[in-house]
Amino acid sequence: MGERLMDELFVGKSFARMDKDKVIGRANFINDITLPRMLHAKILYSARPHARIKSIDTSKAEKLMGVRAVLTGFNVPEVKVGFLGDQTPLKKDKVRQFRDEVAAVAAIDEDTAEEALDLIKVEYEDLPAVYDPIEAMKPDAPLVHEFDARGKPRRNNLLPLPWKLEAGDVRKARESSKYVVKDRFSTQWVHQTCMGTSGGIAEFDVNGNLIFRSVTNVPFGGKDRLDMFLKNLGLKGRSRVLTPYVGGSFGSKLDTDIYEFILVLLAWKTGCPVKIVFSRKEEFLASPPRQPVIATVEQGCDSNGRLTFRNIDMILDNGAYTSWGATTPSVMMIPVSSLYRVPNVKFQATCVYTNNIYAQAMRGYGNPQATFVIEQSMDQLAEASGIDAIEFRKINANVPYEKTPMDLKITTCPMSECLEIVEKRLNWSEKRNQKTSRGVGVASFLHVGGGARVYLSDAQGIIMKVDDEGKVTVITGGTDQGQGSETIIKQMVAEATGFRPEDVSIFQGDTEVCPWDVGTHASRHAFITGHAVLLAGADVKRKVLDLAARWMPEMIRFDLSKRARKDPNFQVPLLDFSPLMDTNNLELRNAEVFLKDDPENKHFRLPVAKILRRAHLVGTGKGEMVVAEAFYDPPNEMLNREGKGNLSCCYTFGAHGVEVEVDEETGLVTILNYVAAHDVGRAINPMLVKGQIYGATVMGCGYALTEEIQTNHGRVMNPNLLDYKILTAKDKIPIDPVIVEPIEPSGPFGAKGIGEPACVPSAPAIVNAIYDAVGVRIKDLPVTPEKLLKAIKEKKAKEQ
Amino acid sequence: MRTFDYFKPVCVEEALFLLNKFADKSKLVAGGTDVMVQWKKRIISPVALISLRNIPELNFIRMNDCLEIGSATTHRSLELSADIKSKFPAIYDAVSNIGSVQVRNSATIGGNLCNAAPSADSAPPMLVLDTGVNIVSSDGQRSIPIDQFFKGPGKTVVQPNEVVKSFSIATPPENTGMAYWKHTRRSAMDLPILGVAVLLSFDEDIKTCVKARIGLSVVAPTPIRARKAEEFLLGNVVNEASLDEAGKIAASECSPRTTIRGSDWYRREMARVLVKRVGLISTERASHFSKLES
Repeated sequence: MGERLMDELFVGKSFARMDKDKVIGRANFINDITLPRMLHAKILYSARPHARIKSIDTSKAEKLMGVRAVLTGFNVPEVKVGFLGDQTPLKKDKVRQFRDEVAAVAAIDEDTAEEALDLIKVEYEDLPAVYDPIEAMKPDAPLVHEFDARGKPRRNNLLPLPWKLEAGDVRKARESSKYVVKDRFSTQWVHQTCMGTSGGIAEFDVNGNLIFRSVTNVPFGGKDRLDMFLKNLGLKGRSRVLTPYVGGSFGSKLDTDIYEFILVLLAWKTGCPVKIVFSRKEEFLASPPRQPVIATVEQGCDSNGRLTFRNIDMILDNGAYTSWGATTPSVMMIPVSSLYRVPNVKFQATCVYTNNIYAQAMRGYGNPQATFVIEQSMDQLAEASGIDAIEFRKINANVPYEKTPMDLKITTCPMSECLEIVEKRLNWSEKRNQKTSRGVGVASFLHVGGGARVYLSDAQGIIMKVDDEGKVTVITGGTDQGQGSETIIKQMVAEATGFRPEDVSIFQGDTEVCPWDVGTHASRHAFITGHAVLLAGADVKRKVLDLAARWMPEMIRFDLSKRARKDPNFQVPLLDFSPLMDTNNLELRNAEVFLKDDPENKHFRLPVAKILRRAHLVGTGKGEMVVAEAFYDPPNEMLNREGKGNLSCCYTFGAHGVEVEVDEETGLVTILNYVAAHDVGRAINPMLVKGQIYGATVMGCGYALTEEIQTNHGRVMNPNLLDYKILTAKDKIPIDPVIVEPIEPSGPFGAKGIGEPACVPSAPAIVNAIYDAVGVRIKDLPVTPEKLLKAIKEKKAKEQ
Repeated sequence: MRTFDYFKPVCVEEALFLLNKFADKSKLVAGGTDVMVQWKKRIISPVALISLRNIPELNFIRMNDCLEIGSATTHRSLELSADIKSKFPAIYDAVSNIGSVQVRNSATIGGNLCNAAPSADSAPPMLVLDTGVNIVSSDGQRSIPIDQFFKGPGKTVVQPNEVVKSFSIATPPENTGMAYWKHTRRSAMDLPILGVAVLLSFDEDIKTCVKARIGLSVVAPTPIRARKAEEFLLGNVVNEASLDEAGKIAASECSPRTTIRGSDWYRREMARVLVKRVGLISTERASHFSKLES
């Protein structure tokens, strides 16, 4: 499958995005949906970071005209939710962070619901709080949770998730290393900042089944969690998840969030559809961002610059509850063990409860944090051993077809090629070590590129049907969050079946109809869908050609004789129909069937629409249809107890190189040149691949320079787009995306995933470039002008 | 539910009548880019919102002996005015860097100044231009210099029964250069960490300073002038060294706060650096203009 098909018509071409309805404002997002009898929900969040709830008085809110329900932990069943079951949707005994959901209102409109929130009086009794994960690890720290999900008393704030990975002998390798560097780095909370905020609509039908309109990118996982919630509430119904258009996810819509359970409770209590859409402020305050880490890194190399060992210890601020953020160490292990060839590896990650906001998944899933610390340490080690930073990376670069200490089986791997591209396009040798306020820096990455078996399944189901208009409908369990999957699915389906992209339509977003899928995460959508498309597409093609072989001779004869009847001058040609009767001689392309060896033969060519119509309308009770299905589950492995296993079918590599200019008087950093070289296996649609690279790189630059959720004693201080600074179109970053195509044998059409990786190496590349420019290393993200100026001043003071 | 009555007077007289009627229960609104945000955040809850959008006599840019700008003139109109760009580049620098084009199409210069944010972008250039603020009420008209206009964060001398009608700016003398610099962390949709405007008028030699104005934002409860630094430059030869000294003096006149947007030390440091830099741009512009004129 990995072989480049010689005569591909649609794959590898830059088709423009086909979801035009978004551009003209006709796409329906959750915001646009209104149902009959629908109510609007608002949630009251905690006013304290850590406190006992003494009482909640909802009497005034309940009496407000237009209010249909006021719920608190005291009038709904106590059902535990979340990955570790460490919270209930509405908090009853105590609050553990400012975003704790204390009460919820459903009313006839948003304003009334909001007014009702003002009328709810909550009495708190403050408890000592802890905001620093290192403080929270101390034996005398206040307990965020006194009991675990099973009711067992807890003695400390550590999560029962001891992430560990060990390969080789780090202690011995350290002793034999020529150069060793050790340092400590930290990263901040950053928010996914999707254009579309969180939201949903819950309603129960007359049979007590839940219909949930959701922004999830994991419809079936979400359905599972909702079904479990219904069961635990004592309800008999089942759930159906519908996903309309979604305005971005970047991981934020991976877990079923608390507001979604609250919507179910409100819909259940009121018997009406209930909707919520977060304001931007709520989105910043109550939707979980990327996990911050504090990391200690130690690395060594021999006299030739070969890595000898890597030892990394991470502390993750888990916040008050547990969502997917706490599982990001499973992905951190990939770069920790396998970014560059390092024989001896030790990794440990500790997640600690605090009274801060908690974290979820975000693009890269732990990889940006891990790569940030590894790639700075790589620069430090290169400097210690006196080797150029790119040369040092090339010495240690991953190579094709090698097993890493984590048992990842690398297949194609153009890491050195990517480094060389960066070296050349940045004009590295001339620009490096100039110490003129300008500098260049580099960072590489690897990431899963062929799915990721984080559950027992990594599969996707797909159904294709061909109708008698000659059109293909694809019914898939996957979702689109805006990445453009509709366009590439149509290209791949057209390629696999012999139809054209415009003949293909996609149906998705309904768990009642669509076949099962794990979810659109881990950069897996194009890869897994591509394989499912190839399987089902081949079946579709086979079935169409089979019908053609049986019907075409008769249909062509009939057409010719009809023509002869109408046109007396027309001579029915003498034709040998026998080649048509063997499917092996037939080809399907552009939605037409013709003879493979004689494509110019104008008689032996029929549109699929005609053939299907004939097959449907046979008149004898033996009609046939063309429907094919596939359930593709890739041959990758779950991690074993030691944290090892071949998580993905293939891994994607790349390198980012940046040239920066530092204003040494103001601390402002300007990006002068940015080369992003990416191994994508094969670009299904080069323009959309570049779109992914641009978007993710800008996100990575924001991570490096401007983005940060600022907190003060657990309270988010900048819940708005003015003070949470994502970069804008006017911050022109001159990104030069380079697509490297080694054609991946395990990939559909040779492709690897590209959804996440480009936001992984930006921050370390930029920080390394700043170091090259001004000789100071910022170890704590983001690099604000203040931090940088302070460091520059300190350095200058020391030098004097 | 929170509501307000919305009035759209068509002349200043009608606006003043409504102001008298609703007094302190009313709020004037022009572009709405500040007022509506404050309403949503529940900082204000007026009974009557009186819009100045549809009053032609508040929306104009007039260049005669002096420049007069109607208070409800949008930033975008100022940005697109060739006269403003060529003759009052400090105003252009300021108004062309506020928010986004969409914001500038709505937001007005009067609104920006009357909102009296310590970070108001248009304040430093208006300060260095010795702008006169023309205020009307049903009792008559008064005019006050802009350096007496601001009273504190969100506070001005404008009384509840008054409307700011226009701004008068004298044409600067020959051999004058002016500029405004907005120090931000990104290129659009941002507030300044610090805003600096400098106006320098020179002798014919384009060296000796005969008039100096330095306006700063975000370094005090109101936009301020750095008068000691101005005094230092007056009569002095302007060059990098003297501007560096002026920067230091200006920094010493600042009393910035530490907020999530920036620390006090950083803002003071930026005042020092940017007064020098904007002074150099102004000097360059003065010499550029004198060459053009000669």
